[in-house]
Amino acid sequence: MSTTRYATFQGCRNFRLLIVLSTLSGKPIRVEKIRSEDLNPGLRDHEVSFLRLMEAMTNGSSIEISYTGTTVIYRPGIITGGSYTHQCPPGKPVGYYVEPMLYLAPFSKNKFSVIFRGVTASHQDAGLEAIKWGLMPVMEKFGVRECALHTLKRGSPPLGGGEVHLVVDSLIAQPITMHALETPQISSIRGVAYSTRVSPSMVNRMIDGARKVLKSVGCEVDITADAWRGENAGKSPGWGITLVAESKKGWRYFSEGIGDAGAVPEDLGTQVAYELLEEISMSAVVGRNQLALAIVYMVIGKEDIGRLRITKSQVDERFIWLLRHIKQIFGTEVFLKPVDDADSDDLIATVKGVGFTNTNKKIA
Amino acid sequence: MEQSNKEHRKKSEKATAKKKLHTQGHNAKAFAVAAPGKMARTMQRSSDVNERKLHVPMVDRTPEDDPPPVIVAVVGPPGTGKTTLIKSLVRRMTKSSLTEVNGPITVVSGKRRRLTFLECPADDLNAMVDVAKVADLVLLMMDGNFGFEMETMEFLNLAQHHGMPRVLGVATHLDLFKSQSTLRASKKRLKHRFWTEVYQGAKLFYLSGVINGRYPDREILNLSRFISVMKFRPLKWRNEHPYLLADRLTDITHPQLLESKGKHIDRKVALYGYLHGSALPSVAGARVHLAGVGDYSISHVEKLPDPCPTPYFQQKQDEYEREKMKEEGAASTGAPRRRKRLDDKQKLIYAPMSDVGGVLMDKDAVFIDVGTKNGEGASFVPGQEKGEGEKLVTSLQSAERSIAESFDGVGLQLFSNGQELHAGDEEAESFSSDGDVSDQSANGGRQNLRKPRIYGKSVQEADADVDGLVSDDDEEFEDFDGEGDHQRRMVEVDFPAENGDLVEAQTDSEFELSDHENDIWTRSTASKLEGSKARRRKWDIGKLIYMDNITPSDCLKRWRGEEEDEDENRSDAEEDEEFFQQKDRSAGTTSGVDDDLEKFKPHFETFKKLIAKWPDMEQIKNRFVGSSTLRSEKQGNDDDDADGADEDEAYGDFEDLEAYEGQESEGENDSAQSSHNDSDDNGSDGSFADFEQEEKKDLTTEQERERNAAKKESLRLQFEMEEGDNFKEDDPNNEYDTWYELQKAKMAKQNEINNAELESMTPEQRQKIEGFRAGSYVRIVFENLPMEFVENFNPKYPIIMGGLLPAEMKFGIIKARIRRHRWHKKILKTNDPLVLSLGWRRFQTLPIYTTSDSRTRNRMLKYTPEHSYCFASFYGPLCSPNTTFCGIQVVANSDTTGNFRIAATGIVEEIDASVEIVKKLKLVGYPYKIFRNTAFIKDMFSSAMEVARFEGAQIKTVSGIRGEIKRALSKPEGHFRATFEDKILLSDVIVLRSWYPVHIKKFYNPVTSLLLQNKTEWKGLRLTGQIRAAMDIETPMNPDSAYTKVERPERRFNGLKIPTSIQKALPFKSQVHQMKPQKKKTYMAKRAVVLGGEEKKARSFMQKVFTISNAKDEKKKAKNQDARKERLKKLAKLEEIKIEKDKERKKRYFSENGRKRQHADSGADSGSNKRR
Repeated sequence: MSTTRYATFQGCRNFRLLIVLSTLSGKPIRVEKIRSEDLNPGLRDHEVSFLRLMEAMTNGSSIEISYTGTTVIYRPGIITGGSYTHQCPPGKPVGYYVEPMLYLAPFSKNKFSVIFRGVTASHQDAGLEAIKWGLMPVMEKFGVRECALHTLKRGSPPLGGGEVHLVVDSLIAQPITMHALETPQISSIRGVAYSTRVSPSMVNRMIDGARKVLKSVGCEVDITADAWRGENAGKSPGWGITLVAESKKGWRYFSEGIGDAGAVPEDLGTQVAYELLEEISMSAVVGRNQLALAIVYMVIGKEDIGRLRITKSQVDERFIWLLRHIKQIFGTEVFLKPVDDADSDDLIATVKGVGFTNTNKKIA
Repeated sequence: MEQSNKEHRKKSEKATAKKKLHTQGHNAKAFAVAAPGKMARTMQRSSDVNERKLHVPMVDRTPEDDPPPVIVAVVGPPGTGKTTLIKSLVRRMTKSSLTEVNGPITVVSGKRRRLTFLECPADDLNAMVDVAKVADLVLLMMDGNFGFEMETMEFLNLAQHHGMPRVLGVATHLDLFKSQSTLRASKKRLKHRFWTEVYQGAKLFYLSGVINGRYPDREILNLSRFISVMKFRPLKWRNEHPYLLADRLTDITHPQLLESKGKHIDRKVALYGYLHGSALPSVAGARVHLAGVGDYSISHVEKLPDPCPTPYFQQKQDEYEREKMKEEGAASTGAPRRRKRLDDKQKLIYAPMSDVGGVLMDKDAVFIDVGTKNGEGASFVPGQEKGEGEKLVTSLQSAERSIAESFDGVGLQLFSNGQELHAGDEEAESFSSDGDVSDQSANGGRQNLRKPRIYGKSVQEADADVDGLVSDDDEEFEDFDGEGDHQRRMVEVDFPAENGDLVEAQTDSEFELSDHENDIWTRSTASKLEGSKARRRKWDIGKLIYMDNITPSDCLKRWRGEEEDEDENRSDAEEDEEFFQQKDRSAGTTSGVDDDLEKFKPHFETFKKLIAKWPDMEQIKNRFVGSSTLRSEKQGNDDDDADGADEDEAYGDFEDLEAYEGQESEGENDSAQSSHNDSDDNGSDGSFADFEQEEKKDLTTEQERERNAAKKESLRLQFEMEEGDNFKEDDPNNEYDTWYELQKAKMAKQNEINNAELESMTPEQRQKIEGFRAGSYVRIVFENLPMEFVENFNPKYPIIMGGLLPAEMKFGIIKARIRRHRWHKKILKTNDPLVLSLGWRRFQTLPIYTTSDSRTRNRMLKYTPEHSYCFASFYGPLCSPNTTFCGIQVVANSDTTGNFRIAATGIVEEIDASVEIVKKLKLVGYPYKIFRNTAFIKDMFSSAMEVARFEGAQIKTVSGIRGEIKRALSKPEGHFRATFEDKILLSDVIVLRSWYPVHIKKFYNPVTSLLLQNKTEWKGLRLTGQIRAAMDIETPMNPDSAYTKVERPERRFNGLKIPTSIQKALPFKSQVHQMKPQKKKTYMAKRAVVLGGEEKKARSFMQKVFTISNAKDEKKKAKNQDARKERLKKLAKLEEIKIEKDKERKKRYFSENGRKRQHADSGADSGSNKRR
């Protein structure tokens, strides 16, 4: 009886987000022409693995992948959550899989407790600290209070061997309506520099590099050294740093980076510090890498108007794609208008929530 | 007889407060509380009462300034006077009388209130269900002579499980009571019964007889006053869903299609009505449920001018128009009049299906009932017109030209207010069209669509001057030249403000036109209209983002005003190519060659650039705590820098090499942009974004003040939310006494913010963000509705459209807590079809009733328990948990008995895609060989395979010895070896308790009652019992299932017998010791006992005493018997007298009252005759 009307998308852009949005909205989607022009067309390992994960975390969802792998039809089911262990293929780090789970976890039937095994860091995807200190505070702002990411083992690329445990205990009916109109003031900068299977001095060198840049900022800078050794340090040597600028009200901006073989730790520290400054200068309330999470949470909020201040430079290609995809799935538009303040060219993103409620949860 | 009441006793002393203060040395003032216990009790009670009044705080989403009409449903059994009541109320409120009540009737009842009267068909359960879901107020009609009827009870129960609207009882036919006392008594009885059903103290109106086809005016006046001041609480379901009660339906299928393909094609149907509940999303293709028809997608929605506006709304409208007139320089018409009561003019009625006064409205036509055709005195007969008016009409009816002729010489009109273009004068037109446009707007009459009267900002207005093209562009855009179209759109944006520029532009483009003569006309026009390109355009990012045909990178470029310079010089032909190139490029990026499309880390500059960019922290100094003092000084600098960064970032992001050319003019860009920004800022504040510039000059101080006030208000909203920090929720010393107040305040604040934000948008933006608000009158078009819906349309049955939330479009298994209704006669059987009314839908499904076995499993039940809740799982469209529903077994009227029809009520607990339900299955086997703890079991399975499936399973003997299945035996198929905790007997029965999964049948059958000719006769799947009865099949009986008397043969256990040969061989310790029976008599058996001495004496004495005592008792007994006889005799005598008296009294009574009763009976008969 259910009529199959898909929202159709071309290409693998925002693939995870599409699947997540589809699951939240309950609307089936069809993603076409996934790398159809590529020499190696179709879905990659990590995408298939992600679909597997989705299948495990939901009940009743069906995934059809075409013969060539260039077309995926996804009919969402009900988010069930529960305990699960996911083996992540080495192509992408665990952050790639954890990140979309953050959108779903608070709206599931059971509490999320998922263990991810694989590589824990990469150049492009969210690192563990980025999720822990960057994304989870945003969720907290929307009412998801009890979520945590425990690092059981670290596993640097290429061999990995890491293990993290995502626990989301608060199942909320709907996110809180956001009204963030003021750019928050940063009160301190914190950070973690870690290393696995290399000399702990690397960590201190990274910290030194970062400190040198951040010295002139004029607020407290506190970077922790975190050297992993022994069995919990994974299979490969590696090191990286995450810097977080935090405000009193709980908003965070962050930047992160990991070191390659032969890279100079001081340089990495310096670069990440500069990136943090850049990120701060470019973002109003949330950073660019937190924006998608914040916007999606706003879209699935109550049928009230929520507001979020963003800067002009945050309106980039990714943002536009995000909004277009949201519109296609939820039918909701984000209204951008300049702030009333004359000497700032920031924008206020105004969103009316779709009135989503967590229907998956059982009543007591 | 005179009644003697106890006389009133006056209080002897004056109990004034003053005197009480000092009594007997007790100083009342010295004690704060005289009676602490009593005070505590009263306080407790009053707080209890207050607490009981509270409801869970809920946001009321109905708009305050123009709420939808209140739906007043008139419900009751047939013959209770529903139609009469509606007619009376309508007459009372609008001074117009109806001949027939068909469909909803909307009337204005007060300054800010409208009512929609809806008559619920009396004999249709489906309609009752639907009405219960949408009614805000129910007028529950009941016949005073009969009291509550089954329909009334059913409706009340339905309403209760769909949110319980306000209910007013109306008892009619009270004139049929002859005596006042019986009337009073039955009124009281009715009232109390009504109270138990609704709530204590619920209002029940009494209407006496009918005068002139209406109820008495005074009573109706009271009722209407009561209705018009009634307040309504938001109901959860209705607060979350948009819904509409259709008051009009038109079939807009193309007649050609009907002609060519026959009547049996799906129809295109438009429904009209007021929106209720939450806002209906404005995206096309929203899914809705049409009650009684099914789920359909909306093809499109259109907001229409309100056919029945409230006086308040009209007043606002007038004010708005007066304002507008003033702006245009016309003389003002004077101050608005304040009115205390409604004008007759304002007492509007809108009942398109009921033909008020013989007029029936259609989409774009009005039908006037002209009486019988060709009959005596028929109107509008050609040649026999009775007046000039009729002549005019009849002359219109005779068409003089054919359709082809009438379209001859009709040209193409490009813009709504532009001149028509004809084939011949193309060139001439192209030269002068622009001038004409401006001319016409200056002195021409109205040529475009009339602007409908809409309060606030009209949608169409915005459409015309801002975004007329956007909505329909989306589909046709791909056929067009991308560039050209954008430019046309730009013109639309800029047009009203900059007329001067346009003239120049026109001359500019004339050259172009001459250069490329072979260009198609449309494009040249577009380019001609586009204006000078050197001027930087201001793009609205909000719109750009959602133009799917523009790639995001283009969006950003346009928004930031970095259009490539060579664009200007590019010829149209090149543009064409360029378009294709663009398309290719965009396709390339969307198809996604690289993996970077999903990377988490945002783009950053290279390390070196970063170092160069951040020599110090000055740029972001103001972002850190403790540097706010610096901020104000630095601000100017910072902004410039930030902009620079933006530009850089943009270039980097899109790797646009050409952009560096524009670098020189960057500063200038920025300034231009910021000025645009400023103008836009102002624009968004006021309601008329496009007139803003013109208006600005002649703003009066008042207007300026108003604007400032508005600005302040919006700032306040911002600040309070921000500063209040969520109302200091965690702070115990916040200004709110209770949690309840805090929540209320929060909601009010959020509501305020919503309104303020939405007010600040243009109407078209607002519609996009908010959707169609409740209270707006809309026309909703559906593409493929079944033809039966239209063909069998009957205005008596309500058409209800309910919006669906995302979760409600999915199908799955619903687990609900359910209980058989206690008034329903039978318990319900698993897998018997049940019609559920859940959410908007009514559907038949096959529920499986379950119970939870100590929360470990869901065990199937064959039948629902008698009086308690159980669980039910069924397949159907999902519905969010906590939704209540009703179940009905049979909805067809022909199949119903007089019994209560609502079979079950329940609440949704959980939704899921699947559910695990089991039923118990016991497998039985018998041992045939027993070793010590091991036994071979037969008859449980039939193959080794089955055994293998159950290896390791727990088994048990009936006597309770537990065991485990070990392994299948190879030889007799299906036999197996099992071990037990103890040795079992050969006579034991072995039981394997297993759980067999039960699958839910995926059966979903929507009750499509509105598609039937006879709406009350929907028949779905029949109950098993009904099918058996109809087909004359006996209920299958498994003889094993029959309860028979248990016959247990006496079991005999033989004693242990050890063969003597073995006995001998046993060691002494293990031997069974058995002694031979004794042969000699013992002393105790042998001796004789003889009485004597003291003992003998005592015995004889006791005997004597007892003899005397017995004799005494005998005597006493005889005496008692005599006395009793005497008394009985006396009683019999009394009884006789009493009977005699009774007889006499009865005789007297019946001789008096018998006649009266006869009389009353005949009176009642005549009354009922009158009514029918």
